[in-house]
Amino acid sequence: MSIQFKTIKQLGKMLNNKEISHVELIQETFSLITKNNHLNAFVTLNEQESLKKAEILDKSPSSSTLAGIPIAQKDLFCTKDLRTTCGSNMLSNFIPPYSATVIENLENAGCISVGKTNMDEFAMGSSNETSFYGNVQNPWGLNLVPGGSSGGSAAAVAAGIVPAASGTDTGGSIRQPASLCGITGLKPTYGRISRWGMIAFASSLDQAGPMTRTAEDCALLLNEMCSHDEKDTTSLDEKIPDFTKNINSSIEGLKIGLVKEFDLSKLDTDVVKVFEESKKHYESLGAKFVEISLPNISLSVPTYYVVAPAECSSNLSRFDGVKFGKRCENPKDLEELYIQTRSEGFGDEVKRRILIGSYVLSAGFYDAYYKKAQQVRRLIKNDFDSAFKNVDVIMSPTTRGAAFEAGSKGDDPIQMYLEDLFTIPANLAGLPAMSIPNGMIEKKPIGLQLIGNFLDESTLLRAAHNYQITTDWHLKTPEVMS
Amino acid sequence: MDKKTVATIAYLSRLSLNEKNEDKITDDLENIIKFVDQLNAAETDNIEPLASPLEKTAKTRPDKITAENRKEIFLERSPKSNEDYFLVPRVVE
Repeated sequence: MSIQFKTIKQLGKMLNNKEISHVELIQETFSLITKNNHLNAFVTLNEQESLKKAEILDKSPSSSTLAGIPIAQKDLFCTKDLRTTCGSNMLSNFIPPYSATVIENLENAGCISVGKTNMDEFAMGSSNETSFYGNVQNPWGLNLVPGGSSGGSAAAVAAGIVPAASGTDTGGSIRQPASLCGITGLKPTYGRISRWGMIAFASSLDQAGPMTRTAEDCALLLNEMCSHDEKDTTSLDEKIPDFTKNINSSIEGLKIGLVKEFDLSKLDTDVVKVFEESKKHYESLGAKFVEISLPNISLSVPTYYVVAPAECSSNLSRFDGVKFGKRCENPKDLEELYIQTRSEGFGDEVKRRILIGSYVLSAGFYDAYYKKAQQVRRLIKNDFDSAFKNVDVIMSPTTRGAAFEAGSKGDDPIQMYLEDLFTIPANLAGLPAMSIPNGMIEKKPIGLQLIGNFLDESTLLRAAHNYQITTDWHLKTPEVMS
Repeated sequence: MDKKTVATIAYLSRLSLNEKNEDKITDDLENIIKFVDQLNAAETDNIEPLASPLEKTAKTRPDKITAENRKEIFLERSPKSNEDYFLVPRVVE
């Protein structure tokens, strides 16, 4: 029986019923990876180690929830003794001596990390075109981008190679590729999942999360990914609920907010049509729509493009060629070592963001840009706080359209930045948000975004699961190699 | 944004820009700065800046050593080291 396009739940059942052995499951997974090599979804594979773990599970069965489930890990998480590149030449030789907390949590729950997925360099991009390891191909069509930055993770799940992948989301890097690849992705509340061992891009925005085929699988993974971690000072010490518990409860009476300021008339009519159909569907499930106002929401993208580069320029100063990663050849002195290493190691988009960050943080400009952006960030958060007094979730399209062709955004970075228009606000406010497939445009999938209140992933998952058990958009699959 | 400013921030960032890219980068930065200038439209008098979505004081933990000394593995995986140190070009003559 083929394992392709199966969910975590289905694979778990197959393993329990002995329809497939652990070793067979892992062998099949690597066979799918090889057949879909052209997608360029993986940077590094972990075949020997994965097979070893599967053999152990076949010999002595484990009761762990996710025992033997193959998972692809975004190449931004440190994985002990397994190369971690972050999509960059800078880390092309980096083998971490430790694993990120979230990787440990998933592996302790029984997941088998089969490989590291391709991504935009240091997670800076929305199309996976900034990776040093080449573009990722969206399984839904030739030359289509998978979105970014978690593009390899999204493509691997969309092609049915693995039932699940980890991602990270700083401004939409889980939700936007989930939308463009037709899968389900969730960015939890800031602080839910430890950032320890996650290579930092913008520390006050970065958050890891699950990418899967269904909301139910997202809940299963989230249960394991979350933990309070003393090693991360921003890790939340809050009760972690069983996210699968109320997923089947009805959404009768659920209040869904529609943002007045999101001007959908500027989007393609197809995108609006898909969105309107989802609204009708939610209405048929008993949800109520409420118009809400987020007066400062239009300033989200400019706020993000001050805050994120500022934090990035600071975080990426650690890449100096001294302690780990790449070092240039034969530097004449220490300063040349720094400059040459960084100039050779970083790609154009990363350099652009470091420069912007250095500029907005430099003496004389700090108040005008960085402080101002942080003040606007508070206004945006206050807007959400007020809105959530009246609604349970906020709904919008995830993206402005379906997957676009590689190179089609030209070389104007702002056009690419606007790709994250709908997703950035949740990062600024630290709120949980997810994307679920809700339609097709010219045979390409597109997603619906649900934003939840602080710590309320459960309501998001319930709303998403109710939608998925009554629709089949998440069951659509692309024609890929099997 | 002019070439001189770009050269200064490039130096602050310890990046060298090749001449071929200089014009393009100057234009890009100019456009991005113009784009973020939209923030000036917001009224922010007396608004406290928000640095992180969690405005809680970081939790403290007992001051105990929990990490083991893994000097050898860190040195071994660095670009250049001897048995005790990371090595860089000589700084003091």
